[in-house]
Amino acid sequence: MRIGTISGIGVTLCLAAGALAQETSIPRTPSEPPSLARVQTTEATEPSVTVLGSRQAQSVLGRDVRSSAGENMGRIVDVIVDRSGRVRAAVIDFGGFLGVGSRKIAVDWNALSFDRDTTKRDVVTLELTRDQVKAAPEYKDKQSVVVLGAGGLQSMPDW
Amino acid sequence: MGRNDLPGKAAPRPIEQPERASADPAPVRRRELSLVPPPPASGEPPHPSRSSLRGLDWFIFFLADVQTGFGPFVAVYLTSQKWTQVEIGLVLSISGIVALFAQMPGGALVDAARSERLVAAFALGGIGAAALSYALLPIFPVIAAAAVLHAGASCVLGPCIVAMSLGLVGHMAIGERLGRNARFASIGNGVAAAVMGGVGYLLSPRWVFIVTALLLIPAMIALSRIRPVEVDPERAHGGPVESTPDHAPVAVRTVIRKRELLILAGCALLFHLANASMLPLMGSVLTMRSAEWATMLIAGCIVVPQIIVAAVSPWVGHHAQVWGRRPFLLLAFMALLLRALLFATVSDPAFVLAIQALDGITASALGIMVPLMVADITRGTGRFNLAQGIVGTAVGIGASISPTLSGYLTDYFSASVAFLGLAGIASVGLAGVWLLMPETRPQD
Repeated sequence: MRIGTISGIGVTLCLAAGALAQETSIPRTPSEPPSLARVQTTEATEPSVTVLGSRQAQSVLGRDVRSSAGENMGRIVDVIVDRSGRVRAAVIDFGGFLGVGSRKIAVDWNALSFDRDTTKRDVVTLELTRDQVKAAPEYKDKQSVVVLGAGGLQSMPDW
Repeated sequence: MGRNDLPGKAAPRPIEQPERASADPAPVRRRELSLVPPPPASGEPPHPSRSSLRGLDWFIFFLADVQTGFGPFVAVYLTSQKWTQVEIGLVLSISGIVALFAQMPGGALVDAARSERLVAAFALGGIGAAALSYALLPIFPVIAAAAVLHAGASCVLGPCIVAMSLGLVGHMAIGERLGRNARFASIGNGVAAAVMGGVGYLLSPRWVFIVTALLLIPAMIALSRIRPVEVDPERAHGGPVESTPDHAPVAVRTVIRKRELLILAGCALLFHLANASMLPLMGSVLTMRSAEWATMLIAGCIVVPQIIVAAVSPWVGHHAQVWGRRPFLLLAFMALLLRALLFATVSDPAFVLAIQALDGITASALGIMVPLMVADITRGTGRFNLAQGIVGTAVGIGASISPTLSGYLTDYFSASVAFLGLAGIASVGLAGVWLLMPETRPQD
């Protein structure tokens, strides 16, 4: 119910933010030119097509996150981008049991790695421990985002 | 619902109507239906068979299992299916609204039904369909429809279980029966939380819903063990009605205007306003404080009250018949108030678990007293389940405002202030019961 009411109030803003996030949330590695990921064109020419192999890129929503020690760090529930479209943080739903007592925490995008682990499973690894994440302020829609990075807390100003 | 149910209100009564003054056994037609002895006239207590009583026990147990799967876990599951927070919020809001507005129609439907068992079977089927949809096809239109179906079916099943209980055992034994119901529901919830926690962790969140759907099979079998002839519809609806000339249920507004019912609904609203967000709030405080053990602790905080409820409920139900309802209702509010005050000051994990025992006491006392007092208040009206729906609506309002309220207090002040705010609401409720709520136990 809590999620319900909070999200319910913020529907319009979230929709806008969601649209923005979808456009840019494709994991971009530094080697890829940014223009390939963005195919928005205003000319009447053919849209450009980029094919990303399933081993190259994957969606992140709902993915399990683990710490480097293998602790369960929750799931990615949202992605935060700044005005320039750069991905700044992932919101993870952390802790709790059967959905009771979990907290949403924004973690620095750079603290996440998307490599395969030793068992060849696709995992999202967060360079933080449960102890470091537990006390972080909760992520709230429409408020300044406090991003937890490997180097400590940093705050993103209100838009 | 089936053709047997809806004409209920209009159906001719005489067949079911026991002649109170005469010592005649129940009408002959009943005998032809079954070898089981027919329900006796209202003067003597009914003697439901062991099969029916056990059937009801296990029906409640498995239904509680099923409902656990539809709890806060829905959000986790949909997240794992790549749903955005907006969509999840929308589905939860839709089901919350339906759960609120379907309470009274759900109760009225149960009052109109001639077979509570058949209504329960249909509602159970609806919940099964919803669970399967969640497991197999997590796309928005399907889940939204399933959430509506689940919320509506739950609004029917809640009153239906109490109605079947009342129909089986009658007003004189309903306290004990409700105590037993609470025990089985609580064991069901506890077992389900453990099993589904394990399934979600070891397999995947989707499996939680597959298990949920599978649990409907034993629930249906248990329901089939309840012998329909022993569930007297007259009794199940809070009858027999003697105040109206044709023994029809009294007018709806007579029920709505009953002062005790409105006070009870108000108290139930305050109770859930204070109670509903207390455990989730404590859960998030625990997640913040201890990283290693938070998950286990929260699991403990869910299971401890269930154990207490399972242990004390039959005792509470029995003594509510002996001592009356008011003492237990007061006890429920006092334990709630104490728990809120302790949560505001204590944060040691071991203490938190101990304090959760109070949650068991409140849950048991309130869970039994509310339907019991509604049954007392509506005795002889034929509108028992509508009245349950009225109180259920009040409960729903309280429970749905609670998280917003405590979330607001936590954001702008602190979790301690939020707990104090909830304590304030609990004390208003306590005062309300103390000053306004009369004892409803029948004198005979």
